[in-house]
Amino acid sequence: MATVAETDRGAQTHPDVQSYGEVNEDVLQILGRPGKWWWFLFALSALGVGVFAFSWGYQLVYGLGVTGLNSPVGWGVYITTFVFWVGIAHSGTLISAILFLFRARWRQSIYRAAEAMTVFAVMTAGLFPLIHLGRAWHAYWLFPYPNERLLWPNFRSPLVWDVFAVTTYFTLSAIFFYLGSIPDLAAARDRAKGLWKRFYTFVALGWRGTDREWHHFGKAYLFLAALATPLVLSVHSVVSWDFAMAIVPGWHATIFAPYFVAGAIFSGVAMVITLSVPLRKIFGLEKYLTVRHFDAMAKLCLVTGLIVFWAYLVEFFMAWYSGEDPERRVFWNRVWGHYWWSTWIMLICNGFIPILLWFKRVRHSIAALFTVSLFINIGMWFERYTIIVTSLSHEFMPFAWNVYRPSLTEMGIILGSFAWFAFWFLLFIRVLPPVAISELKEVLPPPMRGKPKEEGGR
Amino acid sequence: MSDGIKRRDFLKVAGATGVGAGMFGCSTENVERLIPYVVPPEEITPGVATWYATVCGECPSQCGMWVRTREGRAVKVEGNPNHPVSGGALCSRGHSTLQGLYNPDRVAQPLRRDGDEFTPIDWEEAEELLAERMGAAAGRTVLIHGRTGMSLTRLMEDFVSATGGRRVEYEALAEAPLREAARIAFGTDTVPSYDFEASQLTLSFGADFLETWLSPVEHGRGFARSSGADDGEGKGKFVFLGARLSLTGQNADEWVPIRPGSEGAVALAMAREIVNQGADAGPYAELLEAYDAESAAAAAGIPAETIRELAQAFSQAPSLAVGPGVAGQHRNATAANLATLVLNAVAGNVGRSVRLGRPDRAAPATGYGELQEAIQEMAAGEVQLAVVHQANPLYSLPEGAGFREAFEGVAFKVAVTTQMDETAAAADLVLPDRHALEAWGDSSPRPGIYAVQQPVMQPVPHFDSRAWGDVLLSVADRLGEALGEDTFHDYLRASWSEIHAQATDADGDFDSFWREALRRGLVEVPGEESDEPALQAPDRALTFDPPSFDGDEGDPVLVVYPSPRFGDGSLANRPWLQELPDPVSKIAWHSWLEVNPDRADAMGLRDGDLVQVRSEHGEVEVPVWIYPGIREDAVALAMGGGHESLGRWADGRGANPMKLLPAEVEQPSGGLVHLATRVSVEPTGDRRRLATIEGSSDQFDRPIAPAVQVDDLTGEERPEDYEPRIRELQALGGFGVVETDGLPEAFPLEGAQYGEYDPETTARWAMAIDLDKCTGCSACVTACQSENNIPWVGEDQILMGRDLHWIRMERYYEEVDASEPGPVDIRFLPMLCQHCGNAPCEPVCPVYAAYHTPDGINSQVYNRCVGTRYCANNCPYKVRVFNWYRFSEIPEPMNWQYNPDVTVRSEGVMEKCSFCVQRIRERENQATLEGRELHVDEVVPACQQSCPAEAIVFGNVRDPESRVAQISKSERTYRVMDVLINTQPAVSYLRKVTFHPVPDIHV
Repeated sequence: MATVAETDRGAQTHPDVQSYGEVNEDVLQILGRPGKWWWFLFALSALGVGVFAFSWGYQLVYGLGVTGLNSPVGWGVYITTFVFWVGIAHSGTLISAILFLFRARWRQSIYRAAEAMTVFAVMTAGLFPLIHLGRAWHAYWLFPYPNERLLWPNFRSPLVWDVFAVTTYFTLSAIFFYLGSIPDLAAARDRAKGLWKRFYTFVALGWRGTDREWHHFGKAYLFLAALATPLVLSVHSVVSWDFAMAIVPGWHATIFAPYFVAGAIFSGVAMVITLSVPLRKIFGLEKYLTVRHFDAMAKLCLVTGLIVFWAYLVEFFMAWYSGEDPERRVFWNRVWGHYWWSTWIMLICNGFIPILLWFKRVRHSIAALFTVSLFINIGMWFERYTIIVTSLSHEFMPFAWNVYRPSLTEMGIILGSFAWFAFWFLLFIRVLPPVAISELKEVLPPPMRGKPKEEGGR
Repeated sequence: MSDGIKRRDFLKVAGATGVGAGMFGCSTENVERLIPYVVPPEEITPGVATWYATVCGECPSQCGMWVRTREGRAVKVEGNPNHPVSGGALCSRGHSTLQGLYNPDRVAQPLRRDGDEFTPIDWEEAEELLAERMGAAAGRTVLIHGRTGMSLTRLMEDFVSATGGRRVEYEALAEAPLREAARIAFGTDTVPSYDFEASQLTLSFGADFLETWLSPVEHGRGFARSSGADDGEGKGKFVFLGARLSLTGQNADEWVPIRPGSEGAVALAMAREIVNQGADAGPYAELLEAYDAESAAAAAGIPAETIRELAQAFSQAPSLAVGPGVAGQHRNATAANLATLVLNAVAGNVGRSVRLGRPDRAAPATGYGELQEAIQEMAAGEVQLAVVHQANPLYSLPEGAGFREAFEGVAFKVAVTTQMDETAAAADLVLPDRHALEAWGDSSPRPGIYAVQQPVMQPVPHFDSRAWGDVLLSVADRLGEALGEDTFHDYLRASWSEIHAQATDADGDFDSFWREALRRGLVEVPGEESDEPALQAPDRALTFDPPSFDGDEGDPVLVVYPSPRFGDGSLANRPWLQELPDPVSKIAWHSWLEVNPDRADAMGLRDGDLVQVRSEHGEVEVPVWIYPGIREDAVALAMGGGHESLGRWADGRGANPMKLLPAEVEQPSGGLVHLATRVSVEPTGDRRRLATIEGSSDQFDRPIAPAVQVDDLTGEERPEDYEPRIRELQALGGFGVVETDGLPEAFPLEGAQYGEYDPETTARWAMAIDLDKCTGCSACVTACQSENNIPWVGEDQILMGRDLHWIRMERYYEEVDASEPGPVDIRFLPMLCQHCGNAPCEPVCPVYAAYHTPDGINSQVYNRCVGTRYCANNCPYKVRVFNWYRFSEIPEPMNWQYNPDVTVRSEGVMEKCSFCVQRIRERENQATLEGRELHVDEVVPACQQSCPAEAIVFGNVRDPESRVAQISKSERTYRVMDVLINTQPAVSYLRKVTFHPVPDIHV
């Protein structure tokens, strides 16, 4: 290997990748070869989607009574999971758009998977506002559609803001995702046969890789990245306002928007780590997803995790400092009351465990990092559960206090939503190139004329 | 999930409606002249309610009642304001009468026993059978009946004297010891009536006069007027002496937790203290010598000083002592009742607050003694035929009474009843009786007051029922003993001709007198009250000492009390009452054993632990509820649970405490002994969660239900600068600042007026609730449920926290101490939608389902609601409730009760108090039709209408003439948590007034 010419950056990012052709070969082989594990996981997730559909159908037929929700606790695991998935979605956009604008080169090998994750996470999240409605069949009333009775949604309601935030976010991230995939879809087209060929031909939109096309592609990508960047901040701010705009003690706090955005990126990056570790292992992508990538993601996790932990402490401090009994008691109850376990899971998983990421040995151990990321995923789900449920259960009127226990139907829908996400993600790695072929090549050493090991590169 | 109606369904509904109209429009059966109160009965006008005056039949106090009917169906009952007993109010049990009328578990046709089964037969056959067996029995019959109207009682007497046999009146909650005590003390064989309004210091020796004792609605009104700080001569004081704080006890200012059974000794010791100061005890002076404060205090477990102080106060103000009541019927109950009567007499209360010359005729005073004789006859085989009419001794008597064995031994047993209760299930012939709202009858709760019970609708067609009076006449006819009239209606009119003769203001014509009686609901015959008698020497020796109790010395005494919801248990099959959180425990749908916290600690018991309660006479299993308002040496269990056969909502629910009691007659009164035994309480190790609506009974010094000490009241109006100035930002969408004091009349705020919100021309509907008057009786909760089509949800849903009531009667403990005498401070707070001027629910609704009307109502648009529940989350008062299932689908004919003026809600929508907007609009439309403005205080919502304490006032707060505007000016006015969250509610509360110092909570 001594003869391979190296550029600085390419060598640092992917020292083991030899050539452009190898990239095509390694990435596109994932599409052609599902393998036993893929089929197993796919069947499992399809089953989970079945559970999801049945649970929702059951709820639609019998009413929301099949959940564990009650009078003070009107929102439970549905909204928890909604916020969780919206949060997950954020890292995709962060990695693909913001890091693109900042020219963080390490993003190249993970951003496609992260973007796909964003799209599917928003697709999953978007289901929950529907699921949690008492009359889901009237959900379209939340949209400002023209009607002869001149009825409009209430633009003062944060839920209407949510509708706009989530639909905008889905639209933009889906377009961004698809646009960035086009050159890679063309690469897949060139390699595919039969029906697949026709499929890729169609979705590649006749991409030929001309200069002119690359020129336009680059401009479009840049603009979309610029457009998506504010959404990273705005969407989760809007979601946080669902709570902060309400007067519920434990919700009504000005810190919520930055707190939630940091939490979203925190959880999203953790989810990227959780997804890319098995992806790397199963499809042999060690060359592309190197320890350096994981190290960078771990650092991002660490920073956002510290912000989140800081926010927790600020919340507790402000509750004490407010001097108001309802506010104080909600936070006291979080830690020592009926839901102490949820709060402690949140504090330990999001506050204490990420401290391990200060250590380089942890950041460089894939197994350790994977474990930490799992804890963060769990912790971030419980963070939302803690915020939503503990606050609602101990509000202003002590006589109306009550606790909430999720029902089997809710569990079915929550697990089903993970299956729904996995279902799309598995389809994605089977159908679309999960690593950005064309962008990877940008950071590889350019092919040199007359070098011995060059095979099939363009 | 189609919302539309299918063609087939449409045709079905359309067809049924047509048939229904035909049936009710042209029914020829029993054409009576039903005289409505307000509207001439020419014809039913669709959409317009017709009101009938009648009498409530749910408890012996016989409140006068108005029934609202729509298109021939009774949909709502209300108190008759002309009637001196109800005074326009009604209790929860009264409201539930509609669920007795439309109860799907009513007996549908006459049933004859064939072996273990009942066979439906027709009425001809049933009457023939009854006549035949009557003839065969040849006078060896017994007729057992519950408390009923005077004419029906007389007809039964006529029947029995014509056909032979014995008539026995049996009411489970009889006041026999009180009547006997009144006879001994005053020589009048009657139950006195009590005037709580006339008392400035009321002592209750355990009598639950606000919930079950004698005439709770009337007492509630009198008590509230006496103890309300703003009414009359300052604030009357109420001291409760007893082992357990009932709802009545929770309303006390002081609690003297005396040992169960020591009432007589304490009352006599107080009487002696008063006599020592110079009062005259007449023939009882000698008796009082034996009772000094020290020995009574030792018997009661309280300091002697307490007795002296109480006696001192009692002799000075106009006062009243009552008790011990039904729960306190122990082995010396007559003596204990006599002791309180003597106490009243020496304090000069007879003729002032205790009225023997105007006795309570409605009170059931025939105890168990007479029935016991009948049981002995039955057991001895001397009875061939037994008829039980509207009584359920098989359930309400202890096992030891032997009623079951004796009744089963009778050759032919007849039950005349509306519901298939335990006694009916053991009968050979079951005759479906008319419900009180379908039948003729009458009542006379006081001398000089006569009320007609008129049918308010055609009998519910699902049930082939016949009025017992008609059956009696027909059977007598068949036996050849015709009683002179063909129908009970004729009989009733004939018996009323006597009243007509006495009524001086009647101008000769009986028909017009009768019509007027029907229209007004009652007739008053002046001059029937007699003079107040003086104390007489006792004609027999009585023991005033605490009675003996069965069981081991160390075990707690079992207090068995009538349920505030079910009375003696006959109303247990009504979902409204089952669902109504008990006013004391806040538990619905089940029984519980009240245990003092110290005892619970010692035994390691928690709320909901199942325990085996055992006496020498039986045992029951029941969950524990830990209650600071009961002495450590007592436990309490309510009557009314543990039915085996009553209906789908009652069977198998709760426990029947009568199983623990001996079948013992108190001598000399003949009343059943209720406070008789100690019980052992053993945990079973199992648990049963309590379906309670109580989250926390501590308000944590939040500005929710504050109080003020009576000495701190100035009696002046609220000063101008009383309210903090709030800087209102929301009015201009958050961009402007408006100065406001947050008062209801400030609505709408400057900047929030969009054209139609014109404060000059539109009303601002508002409410004021006086917490010093509110007794927590929860009549408003059931009234609201009845008016607004609020479904019940069942025990499993209450357990999940999904009760649908629009009013939550909150109950906070401030001060309760069962170990020594002292102040008791329990605050009630009827929490309903506050119709905030700055409502947190409104901006968060994405579809404008939560919306403010120009006249200040926070309205909920059901058909726009998509069910995000965001409004409920953001409601700080937690008054929004959600339809988790399609609760409104209830069994036929229960749904006949639905108020056609109010939407029946489907699943998935939010609902809450609407300020009875249908009533507002109805009055407004009426005013428009008559071409006038609304009168001041013309609109009355269901809760205010029903409140016995007159604690709720509703009206247009912008009108300075309105009562709500005037009351809101009280110095006690505050609005719940407004100071904290700037909601600017339309509901003002008036602070409770206490005699002891209370912490000053900034509101």
